[in-house]
Order: sequence, then structure tokens, then C-alpha cells
Amino acid sequence: MAPAPSKLYADDVSLLLVLLDTNPLFWSNCALPFSKFISHVLAFLNAFLRLHQLNQVVVIATGYNSCDYIYDSSSATSGSSGTGKMPVFCSKLLENLEEFVIRDEQLEKGGPGGGIASSLLSGALSMALCYIQRVFRSGPLHPHPRILCLHGSQDGPEQYVAIMNSIFSAQHSMVPIDSCYVGAQNSAFLQQASYITGGVYLKPQLLDGLFQYLSTVYATDLYSRGALQLPKSVGVDFRASCFCHKRTIDMGYICSVCLSIFCKHHKKCSTCGSVFGQQAQSDVASSSNKRKMSDS
Amino acid sequence: MPQVRIIAKNFMDMVAALPAMKLDRLYQNAFICEAILRSLQPLAKKYVIQMCYIEEPITSKSLEEWVLPGGFSKHKVAIDRLLQLRIFSESFDRTTGTSYRMNATFQINLQKLITCGAILPREPMPSNITIRLPSSQELETYALQQWECFLLQLINSAQVERMTNISPSMMRIFQRGLLTQRDKEAPRLTESGFQFLLMDTNAQLWYIIREYISNSEEIGVDPEDLISFMLELSFHETGQAYNMNTLDEIQRNTIKDLEDLGLVKLQQGRKESWFIPTKLATNLSVSLTDSSSRKEGFVMVETNFRMYAYSSSKLHTEILRLFSRVEYQLPNLIVASITKESLYNAFENGITAEQIISFLQQNAHARVAERVPSVPENVTDQIRLWESDLNRVEMTPAHFYDEFPSRDVYEAACDFARECGGLLWEDSKKMRLVVNTEVHLQMREHLRRQK
Amino acid sequence: MASGHVMKRVKYKTSVKDPGTPGVLKMSGDRIAFIPHNPNSASKLDVNFRSVKGHKNTKEGSNKPPWLNLTNDQGGSYIFEFESYPDMHICRDYVGKIIAKSGEPAKAAPAKPDMIAPDEQINTAELEVRIKLLREDSELQKLHKQLVIGGILTEAEFWATRKRLLEREYGNKRKQRVGFKSAMISDIKPATDGRTNRVTFSLTPEIILQIFAEKPAVHQAFLSFVPNKMTEMDFWTKYFRAEYLHSTKNAIAAAAEAAEDEELAIFLKHDDILAEEARRKIRRVDPTVNIEADQGDDYTHLPDHGIFCDEAKETSEPQYELYKRTLAHDINRHAAVVLEGRSVEVELEGTKTVAEALARSKQAEAANEDSAANADQEWLKRLSRLTEIEDLQAPHNHPVAPLCIKDPRDYFDSQQANAVKILGEDPLGTAKRKSAVNSNEAFGFLRECISQVKSVGLHDPIVKSKDALQVFNALAHDISRTKYDVGKISQESALDKLPSTTKEQILHHWASIQELLKHFWSSYPITTSYLYAKVDRLKEAMSQIYPQLEEIKKSVPANHKQQVSVLVRQMHQALDSAFQHYDADQQKRSAKSDQRLNGMRE
Repeated sequence: MAPAPSKLYADDVSLLLVLLDTNPLFWSNCALPFSKFISHVLAFLNAFLRLHQLNQVVVIATGYNSCDYIYDSSSATSGSSGTGKMPVFCSKLLENLEEFVIRDEQLEKGGPGGGIASSLLSGALSMALCYIQRVFRSGPLHPHPRILCLHGSQDGPEQYVAIMNSIFSAQHSMVPIDSCYVGAQNSAFLQQASYITGGVYLKPQLLDGLFQYLSTVYATDLYSRGALQLPKSVGVDFRASCFCHKRTIDMGYICSVCLSIFCKHHKKCSTCGSVFGQQAQSDVASSSNKRKMSDS
Repeated sequence: MPQVRIIAKNFMDMVAALPAMKLDRLYQNAFICEAILRSLQPLAKKYVIQMCYIEEPITSKSLEEWVLPGGFSKHKVAIDRLLQLRIFSESFDRTTGTSYRMNATFQINLQKLITCGAILPREPMPSNITIRLPSSQELETYALQQWECFLLQLINSAQVERMTNISPSMMRIFQRGLLTQRDKEAPRLTESGFQFLLMDTNAQLWYIIREYISNSEEIGVDPEDLISFMLELSFHETGQAYNMNTLDEIQRNTIKDLEDLGLVKLQQGRKESWFIPTKLATNLSVSLTDSSSRKEGFVMVETNFRMYAYSSSKLHTEILRLFSRVEYQLPNLIVASITKESLYNAFENGITAEQIISFLQQNAHARVAERVPSVPENVTDQIRLWESDLNRVEMTPAHFYDEFPSRDVYEAACDFARECGGLLWEDSKKMRLVVNTEVHLQMREHLRRQK
Repeated sequence: MASGHVMKRVKYKTSVKDPGTPGVLKMSGDRIAFIPHNPNSASKLDVNFRSVKGHKNTKEGSNKPPWLNLTNDQGGSYIFEFESYPDMHICRDYVGKIIAKSGEPAKAAPAKPDMIAPDEQINTAELEVRIKLLREDSELQKLHKQLVIGGILTEAEFWATRKRLLEREYGNKRKQRVGFKSAMISDIKPATDGRTNRVTFSLTPEIILQIFAEKPAVHQAFLSFVPNKMTEMDFWTKYFRAEYLHSTKNAIAAAAEAAEDEELAIFLKHDDILAEEARRKIRRVDPTVNIEADQGDDYTHLPDHGIFCDEAKETSEPQYELYKRTLAHDINRHAAVVLEGRSVEVELEGTKTVAEALARSKQAEAANEDSAANADQEWLKRLSRLTEIEDLQAPHNHPVAPLCIKDPRDYFDSQQANAVKILGEDPLGTAKRKSAVNSNEAFGFLRECISQVKSVGLHDPIVKSKDALQVFNALAHDISRTKYDVGKISQESALDKLPSTTKEQILHHWASIQELLKHFWSSYPITTSYLYAKVDRLKEAMSQIYPQLEEIKKSVPANHKQQVSVLVRQMHQALDSAFQHYDADQQKRSAKSDQRLNGMRE
């Protein structure tokens, strides 16, 4: 259900959902130390909250084994005052973050030994969208929501379907997904997410100036985006993952009923159960063989 | 254009109009920096935040690069505002063109705000000294009561049972512009007075505060001190007690006036006395462009033009009476109906249909506020239609001229009437014209001269 | 042709003044014959239609008898007086058809010698539309000149692809109906002679029609009074007397006059028919909108009911109320009539006919309305049952449609199994496993970072001014680059930068190439020899354009060369693909015909 625009606050009151990547495997190998990263982010969040009394921030930690809300400015009592060292809300956020990391670690010990070096982006995205839906339904007035992914880990192709579903859900409720990717290679998922939802995808070149990137690009509220040109990505990696083996593929088979993607020919679609006909003799003549676009 | 609205919204104009030295002094207070940042246009806010750590001047060209073709007017407004408030200073260089640099005091304060958070000049008092602080519910009722009482006294001093302590001279200052009084008659609301009543509480409050501050010079108080105190006050926490000892003499006097407005509640302990800011005070620094104070609405409008207002407030009755016919009054309910006559009354008093509709929408009862639209469409449409009905046929007393002896005379007459600004209609084929009655005499003179 | 021949009794006249010879007119095929009743009469006639060049006839409703006048090519004329108008109309139509048919080929043939396909029939109207279109659209004209006059396409082929355009033009050409004037009827000004007190109103049928439409009561009165009770002159005199009384705005005087004169009163009182009409209109309004509908709900009419009633009723004397009419009232009625439009299509002659025609149309309308009203009534009933007054209802909770996956277990199980399987399969799996080994360390490191920030606080300043500036400049540079690189703007500006002659040339070529390609591709697959010839023609034309494009490319100044070549390349590509297809088809064809030939031989 898309929100009626008349329900929104006037102007620039924003609800910012920040998805914070806390994948330890990534941060232990990253050029940018986590301490520096988090202090830039905290400064940015503080600045964002200063911009409008009604601005609201929700931080969701995207962990390795789990994800969770770690801060919600609407439930906190006071945002503005500080202890002298840092704003009160920052220390609160850090405490929650620490607890979260400990919990995440415990899950790691309990679960299967091996894993992939990607964090649970799909879970965090879903949580963010759920939160937004709750805000939409909460009352007549609500701020403009947007999602900011601060991500560094590489894509986990096994999350492809879930992430794409979240992206389409965000697109449907007109919530832009901004993404700031601090990892080494570009993230195809986040590129697609920002492209489809009309957000901004950016890969900062100078990590020491992260705050400047955040404040120059991502602090722009949706109202001002009507008047400003924000960075556009030059190309988007539109490759899909197959549903059967979670591989990123250039070419594949598509179910003619539900559009599920497979890397090999199947007798039956695993998503919708449609039975496919005989595979044709040559690949060229096969009607179910469709090329996915690999460039914009 | 409703004049009052403009005045109320542009409180920051008053700040911007302060001399440069005083402005710089204001910026030494971090709270004022924050309040001013909040009051800016969205685009200006973005510029400030992105300039926060840049000490070198930025060329205007590099800022304009970002602006989309449709956004240049907004960009211009934002930059002008920043220059006006002296947050940005402009310099010109032959090679790079115009460039902007941020006010150093403002910048440092903002940086401090971002990394350390703000520190209030006074700490809330520990709970063992203060006895029995009011709950937030109580505090809110108190604030609303005070405010309504004040408003009622403002518009109709005869109706109030309990007078506020605001001096009559002060009251007269507030009433200036809102009421007119011909000698011996009861004062009547002016057009802006009606509009004032229909504004939301925040806007009303700012209007009053602005009047209060602009009057302060007359009693020998620096308006700049008052502004900074008010803005500071808005960052205090609602419901906490703050010691009166932390205030200086002027501030203590001011806070007594503010109690009458419902901005703070004063309490006296055994040894100490303290003040408790209410929501009205903390809302002061809410961006003025935002008209949404989250208060409980009370009005339900039905599709049959009947209006139910769950309120026992006399002020509400008075306000509803401005544009509707009050039919019943029960202890907690006012039943009124919106009729053509009642609306015509309102329109005559200078209230516009948009104001009435926005009042109904802003004060919609929680039950109907969830709906879209909160006021039935047929009602809003009808209100607008009735307003436009008034403008449909315009009657102008006029005189009709016919049977000119020749085309020359006719055309000369037309020109003459046009020059006088009284030509309403002409039909050159049949040589007829209609002129306003006001110029009829001159016209007759003119025609006589022609003969 | 259905009406093979026509036979009517007529009087034949050789000139207007001739009293005429009674007889029978016979029209059949291409001949007109007149046989007088009196066989001895000299005015026997038998002519070929080919000699008839035109025809005229008298208008119905005029006071002339129904005459049909045929002019022959020698300049003479035959006049027939019919017994009735319908007879005349039949004959006129017949003559019209014959003349149109015989005249056309003669006109069209010399213009287009052998281009017209045999089955094509253009009537003059269509021809006119085409000419008009060409005249209005210079580009179309250019294209037409190049392709049709140049003999590449036939007229019919050219227009076949523009049927839509023609139809639209046709639609526009439909006769516009004249509505009522927007001037008010009160504008009818009497002419005074200046000496006496007499005023003279001059009425045209048009004004009368307007008066009738705006004031049904006057219309009613006219129908019932005029032939029997009073003359038309008297009627209008009374009417304007009443109007005069209105204009004086003296309600009391009006009432007094009305009391004396019954007929005058009709004009002075409020129009009952109008009120009735208004009521009827209100009845059709959705009941939920009607404010009067809930009068039962309103207690304001009961005294002393705890009700405030602060509006003083406007006092007025009811007996004079009747004779008051406001300007706003008149304007409203006038506006309604003008908007409704004129439904009567009559030649405006004679007041009587006007009144009757209006009455007829009103009746028809009422009949329509009655039948519609029944349907309406039913619809309203159903509606009122279905419409809920929304604010009296509980809020709806929309049911949620669950996502349908045919067999959820099947889906999730397969997902799970695949996910597990991949861990073993993936070549990267080993690398990840290695990193997972030191996950404990990694978690530890992360926690350390957090507690470090917690204890130290945020760096001040977060960013060095130098870094901040560098980032900002990089971003700004990025923005300015993307702004000019991508997007349509650059394309357009490229075309605009070219010299205007080149630009025009390119645009023109582009238009003609498009036109040719459209015809080219639409003629495939080739089924008839006609299409075959057409494709040949098209290909020839296209190959002529090809070198012209090359010339443009060469003639352009060096600084624009690149842009032009980009544009020209696209056109070349389009043409090339067409040529390719043509060649391939040609080969296939020849191969086939070879085969056939071979087959024949064997």
C-alpha cells in the first residue's frame, strides 16, 4: 500500500533508516578501521538529527548471523544534550551495538562452522521496510522515509531473491534506497537497489572524508532532491543470480510463468511448479532461453 | 494574502534584521546556531551541513553545478537567506568568481554540536529537592489552559472568569493589529484577528512572542538577549525542573510573563523556586515552516455539513462560531452546522475558505484524522464553491452611452473613459459603451465640451 | 444503383415566366425525358445527362413552389415544377448523383494518367482534404512532391499510411452547429424615433427562438394564445410591456398591472415551468449530496430546543416577491440555455415554425428523459442501498491476499537444499572457510573498535578541512561531468549546433528515408507482382538517397563532421539492412524459381 502524499509532513522531515554493516570478517580486512567508520557515521547521524526537530533515525545492524534494531531516535528520551565527550544518543547506540556484536558472535559459535563473507543484507532490508510500513500505518502524519545502506561486505548471491523482493517492495512504497559502499569491488545488489528505487549509489574514493560524502550526498532530503542533481552511477551491474544454485549468471533460463531464473534447463519450475516442455534440439531455437541484459 | 501569516512565519526575519555585530554575538550560543539551522529552508540546511568542515571558500559555481534546471529559484532563495543571516559570507575573485565561506563562529559551534552534543547552561534539579513535579499530562493541560485563557482574554476580555497577570499595557500591545476599537464600542476583531484565531498554536505563539520581543526595547531590555533566552529555553527538557537561581534579573521577569502564556510552570519549594518548561516552550524551536504540532484534534465534520466538536473550551466555541452556526452546546460537545449564511459571514470578515478548511483539517478528531481526506470532500468543495460564488458576479454601478452622433465622437469618448480608468465595456460596431459611475460626471463634461 | 429510375409528375417550363406544361418526368440511366400529358405539346424533352452541367432548386419553406432547375452545357436551362418538395428532393438527389459520377473521371483522369489503381475511387471531398493537408504541412508537401510526383509511390500508397490523418481532418470538417448567442436577450434594444413615445422592437426568428428557449412560459403562452386569442403582434407587444415593467424594478407597479391583465401576468410572474425543470434536475442528484434531504434531521424549525438561531430571516413582502426577478437569476438561466446548445435544426423563418419546432424538440427530450428517468430511478434505488455514508461506517480492514506459491514446502526445501549444496560446491568456499576460522578474532577486533570509540569519543574534527574540500570538489566535478555526458540534451544540442541548411537537409532525408522504409517493410512478404514492382521502385529510390547522404557528409565543415557522420551512419545502417533484406529475398526468389523451372523440366 503506497502512502497517500497528503499524510506526509510538509517539507523536509525525514525518517532515515541506516543499515550498518557489522560483518567482522569484512572489517578485519578493510583499509578503513571500524572505529573511524563508526565515528563518521555517528557524526553524520547527529548532524542529521540537528536539521529538524522531527527528524528520526533508526539504525539496524546488518550482522554476520543476524540483524537487529540497535537505535531508534523516536523512543529515546533526549537527543540533543551531550556529556561533553559525545552526544548522549551516540553512547547509547554504541552500547547497543556492542551488545549486538556479542549476541551475533554467540550465534556464530552455535551455528554451522563455515559461512560466506557476506552479511545479512536481505534481512536488514526487510526489517527496514517493515519499520517503514509500520510508520505508514501509524497515523495521519509521518516523515518521508528513506533507507541508507552503509555496506562493505561483498554480495551473497544466495540472498538474491530475498534482496530483489525487498527492492521491489521498496520501489512499490516509493522508498528510495541510498547506498554507500566502502568495500573493494562494486556491489551489484546495491547498485540495482539504488537504481530501481531512485536512490543514490556511491563508492567513496577517499575514505578519510567519509563524513563529507555522507553530509554532501546522503544528507539531502527527498524534498531537496527535486532541485538538486546527485551523483549518478555510470553503469549498473544488472546480472541476476539463478534460483537453483545462486550463481551470478549472464545467460540463463526463465520460467515463462513466474519469471524465475535458472542456470540450467529444468523439467519443472521449483518456484511455481509449472512443468516445462521438452527442451528443444538446439540452444538457439529454444524458446525459453532468454538473454538477460548485462548492461544498461 | 493573509498578512498575519507572513509575519508569524518569518520570525527569523527579525533575527536576520539584527545588526551584524549582534548576530555574531548570537552565534556564540550553540543553541541559537541550532535553532537557526532548523529554521532554514531544506536546501540551505544541506548547504550548511556540507560546508560544516570546509574552512576554505567554496566557489558559487561548484554549488550551482548540483542544481537542476528547475531548482534554481530554490537555490537562490537558500543562498540569499544564508547570506542575510551572515552564516555565509560572500567574496569575489576575478578568476574564480563569487565564492562563499562559512561564518567561523557558527562553524565551530556547529562542529562542537556534531561531535560533542550540546550542553545546557543549567542542569535539571535533582528530584530529592523538588517536591511533586507535575506529570507530563498535567503539564500539557496546564499549558493549554493558560494559553487558551490568554487567547480568550486577548480577543474578548469580557468572557474571561480568571484574568491572567499580564499587564493591561502589554495586553494592548498584543491586541494591536488584531482588534479595532471605535470609541465607546466593544472592540471588534480585524481581518488579521480572525486569521490569527484560525492559525495553529505554534504560529500564534510566534506571533505573540514576536510582538513581545519587539516591545522589549521600550521597557529597556535588549531584544537580542530575549531572543537568545527564548531559543535556549526551547532546548530545555519538558517536565524537568530548573532552578530559578540560574536566571538573571531580566530572565526572571521574562519567565513570569511566559508563565501567563503557558510556556513554563513556576513552582515554589521550601527554599528554592524553579520553573518547568512545557511543550509550548520546547516547540518554539520547531522549524517554523512546519505547521504540524502534534496535538489532539477535536472536530468531526460529516458529509451533511454537521460538525461535532468534542471540546468544552469557550475559545473553541468562539472560533467555531466564526464560520458555522452553533446549534447545541453540551458539557463536552459543541454541535454546529456549516451553512451558507455562516460561511458568508466568515467571508465578509475576511476569512478565506482555505483557512477554514485547513483549520478543520488540522483540528480533525483522532477518529477522522486517519482518514483521507479527514474532512469530507463534498464539504471542502462546497466551502470553496461558496467562496467563489461570491466572486462570480461583480456588480459595478455604471452608465450606458448610446447613439453617438459620429464615430469620431464615440472614439474620443472611449479614449477619454479609458484615460480616466472608467471604461468597462465597449462595442465599437454599434458605438455603445459603458462607463463606471465614478467617471460619469467627467464623461458628461467631456461630451458637452465636444459639442 | 438502387434507384434505377425516377418518375414524377411535373410541370416543365422553359423559362421562369413560362406557366409550364404538365406532364411526367422520367429519369433513368443517363437520360432525362419529359413526356407532356398533352401529346401534341411541343415541349417534349429527351436529353443525355452528359449535357447537364449543374442543378439548382428552390428552398423548402420559402414561398416559392418546388422548382428544380437543370442547366445544360449550352447555357440554357430546364425548369421543372414539382407537386411537392419530397418529390423534388428525390429527383434532385438522383440528378446530383448522376452528375457527380459522370463528372468525376473526366476531372480526375488527366491529372493522374496511369497511376491510379483500378479499384480506387476518390471523391472530391477526400481530394479536397488531401490538398488541404498538403497545403498546411509543408514537410508533408515536400515529401509528397518528392515521392509521388517523382513517381516512387502512387498517390494511393502515399495516403494509405496516413488514413488516420485524413480521418481526423474529415471529422473536423463536420458541420459546426450554431449555438445560441452569448448575448443576453435583454440586450434587444428598442429603436426610438425620438419624437413620440413609441418604441419599436425588431425581432428576428433567432431572437424569438432564444426567448422561447430561455423562457418556457412565454413559449407556452405563445403556443396557446397566438393564433386564437390574439395576434402575434399583440403578443409581442405585451411581452415587451412586461419586460419594460421588469426593467423599472418596480415590483408594486408590476403587481398592479398584472392584476388588471391576465395575460400580462404570465410574463410577470415567476416562470413555473422553469421552477419545475429545476426541481426535476434536483431530483436526479444523488440523494446523499442533497442538503435538503435531511430536513427531518434538523431541529432548527422547532422553537426552544436549546438551539441557537442567530440568523435573522430576511424580511420581505411575499406578495411582491413573485414579481421580483434578479439579474443573477436571468444570467443563470441564460447561461444554462447557452450551454445546453441549440437542439432545433430549422431554417429560421416565421415565428410559428420556430415555436412549433422548439415544442417538438422539447417533447422528444422529455420523452427521452422519461425513459431515462425510469432507468435512473432504478439506478438510484440500487445506489442508495449500496452507498454507505462513509463517516458513519466502521473503518474497513482490507483483506490481505496471501502470496501464492503452489507448494511452499517444495519451494523452501529446494531453496534450503541448494543453499547447503552450494557451500561444498563453490570454489570460493574454501577461501571463506579459512576466513571463518579466525572469526573469533574478527569479532574480538570489532568489539575492540567499538569500545575504543566509546572511551575516546568522536574525533574532533571528524574530517580535516583539506579532505572535506577534496571530497566536495571531486563530487562537484563528477556531477558536472555526468550532467553533460549523458542524457538527451547532448543529442539535441548536437543537431542544433549544425548549420541550418545541413540540419534541414538531414531532417528532410531522414523523413523521406523513414517514409520509404515504412513502405518497403510493409510490402513484405511479397505476394503479388504489384508489390514486387513497388519494392523495386522503393529500392531504386533508396539507393539514390544513399550517395546524397555521402555528399552531405563531405560538404559539412570539419568541426561538425563527426556529429554529422554519427547521424548519417544511423541512416545508412537503416538503409543497409533494407538492402540486405532485399537481396536475400531476391536470392531466395530466384532460387525458388530455378527450382520450379528445374521441376518443370524434369
